[in-house]
Amino acid sequence: MSREKLEKLGLKLPLFPTTSVGSFPKPDYLVRARSEFTKGQIPEKDLHDLERKATAFWIEQQEKLGLDVLVDGEMYRGDMVAYFAERLPGFATSGLVRSYGNRYYHKPVIAGEVGWRGPVTVDWWKYAQSLTKKPVKGMLTGAYTIMDWSFNEFYPDRRATAFALAKVIRQEVEALIAAGCRIIQIDEPALSVRPEELPIAIEAMEFTTKGQDAYFITHACYGEFENIYPGMLDLAVDNFDLEMSNRDLDLLELFRRHPFTKDISFGVVDVHSHTNDSAGAVRERVEQALTILPKERVWVDPDCGLKTRTVEEAVEKLRSCVTAAKSFRNASATEKKS
Amino acid sequence: MSAAPGLYLSSTGSYPRIGDSPELQLLRRTIVALDRGDRSTADLLDVQNDVTRFVIAEQVKAGLDVVTDGLIRWYDPISHSAGKLDNIQIKGLVRFFDTNTYFRQPVFTGTPLKRGHLAAGDYSFARNALGHLPTPAGKAGKLSIKPVLTGPYTLAKFSLGEQHANGSSGPFAALEDRAQAYSEILALEIETLAQLGAELIQVDEPAAIKYPNDWAIFEASLAPLIKARDNFTKSGRKLELALYVYFHDCAPFYEKLVALPVDIVGLDFTYYPKLVDMIAAKGSPKALGLGLVDGRNTRLEDPAHIARQIERILPKIKGERAFLGTSSGLEYLPRDRAFAKLELLSKVRSELKGGRP
Repeated sequence: MSREKLEKLGLKLPLFPTTSVGSFPKPDYLVRARSEFTKGQIPEKDLHDLERKATAFWIEQQEKLGLDVLVDGEMYRGDMVAYFAERLPGFATSGLVRSYGNRYYHKPVIAGEVGWRGPVTVDWWKYAQSLTKKPVKGMLTGAYTIMDWSFNEFYPDRRATAFALAKVIRQEVEALIAAGCRIIQIDEPALSVRPEELPIAIEAMEFTTKGQDAYFITHACYGEFENIYPGMLDLAVDNFDLEMSNRDLDLLELFRRHPFTKDISFGVVDVHSHTNDSAGAVRERVEQALTILPKERVWVDPDCGLKTRTVEEAVEKLRSCVTAAKSFRNASATEKKS
Repeated sequence: MSAAPGLYLSSTGSYPRIGDSPELQLLRRTIVALDRGDRSTADLLDVQNDVTRFVIAEQVKAGLDVVTDGLIRWYDPISHSAGKLDNIQIKGLVRFFDTNTYFRQPVFTGTPLKRGHLAAGDYSFARNALGHLPTPAGKAGKLSIKPVLTGPYTLAKFSLGEQHANGSSGPFAALEDRAQAYSEILALEIETLAQLGAELIQVDEPAAIKYPNDWAIFEASLAPLIKARDNFTKSGRKLELALYVYFHDCAPFYEKLVALPVDIVGLDFTYYPKLVDMIAAKGSPKALGLGLVDGRNTRLEDPAHIARQIERILPKIKGERAFLGTSSGLEYLPRDRAFAKLELLSKVRSELKGGRP
């Protein structure tokens, strides 16, 4: 049981633990500073100081809201793959490529053998953890997704690329654990894009997490999970963080047909709308989840990272998660007493 | 004289909307300004027109014979057409194959109705824009604009029928009903495009080779499109339909694809390294779109290697007629690399035995 694993790791979490997927919106002063830094108008140290200030802001916000498992909010990252690619040998950066709508990013290019020179995320994790007594998740991107979201000009095929990257991510996992991190999220949003390659993703994750003393979460979203379910349950993680609201909870039907055997971070608010989901709608989503999933396995969070929202919108969406979780937690406690 | 007179260089559809330099980011900046209320939709239209002109000019400069408008105005390949129909609501984001891009999912709320053009307006603009470009040497009368439509099956597969609050299904819950509804609307659009002068229309059906169990539905959904073409060509006028499939291995479906009553079948060669051998062995009873240049990876192929592949395939294709292009649209690449891929097509043609130096 994953709850036992958490306890063995010294983590006692309440029922319906609340968390978030990773990214938060950058405050205006940081957006400006990032732009100024890109133009060479401010030194790196100034940018770094503002990233630390924004990280402290988000840790404080999460504390105030009452979230149980925190994130650093990724104030120092742009894109979830490019951030790693910019810090790992073997990568180059391409020109801008469209993601959707009017959003563009610099897609990484694998131009040589990938490697690991030293920790990429550990200092940020240490800093965020130093600001709170609550557990802060280590946040990584998985080997399969980095492979799928990069141009490959070096390795002979996709499998070879994914395994080269799994070796790198495993070293980052080891470094996080050595620093004291006990919950590590390894995002694999590309998990479902080529169902025939699910075995590659599974093997790469197995290589990344095998024998590592931490509770592992993977986040996947906006995919055709019906094509990889239940096979995806073989991924070597304890918890699947899934976008459920955007898809009107349609995955529950799959879970009815084949039991979901892991913990789940159940996305209860849509992150792509400016308006907040009503308290009733959020409660209804949790209720629906509990018709299929045992309450001991359900975590509550937004569908995906909140970086595309305003600070105010993100706070309100997080508040909805916490309010819903607390209400179910209280109901469960009352049930137990009676 | 070219070594392969029946080989045309063709766009496969999309092209990057922006580049890295500030002047190539006007479209992005204008959309941001529009969202903030600092620009109007008329301003956006002006910029989209400018970018479309630029994209057409780049394709011509690279030496292409058949160009598109780059699909610059498309939000995504699904909601672009579906969102223009009555009784279709556009909802949440869904990943579009393995492209790391997304589309917004259409949901049927009733029988879809076509109130205006889906692609005809864009086609007219693009044709006019091409007409205003100086014609490169040797290209007089040989350049054409190809409109692109996402096909009825792919639209239907990525749309949903409405679900009622009580859990019951609303109209168009069945995939075949959605596919037929889209098909009838697209047939009308094909008729309009043909009336406006389009002689070659590309119909993209990437989902057809990803969901093989739906083949009968896919095939049936083509019938109204074929009928529209046949009605138009009865009077002796020219109109060809090119069916393009990509983002999945097409080899298992090759024989079924080339047996479909379309005029050209466009194939993505990046998923199965032996597709060239297969076509060289089996031949093709109709013209092919040869997606031999990877439209989704920055690595530039060796033009001589691709030329040798064409030399093996072309004699086995009926009429030795083929359209060399990228494996998919180019919007998945940075602008500079997209242009380099187009230039590569011209280099391939020069490498063909007996070709121009």
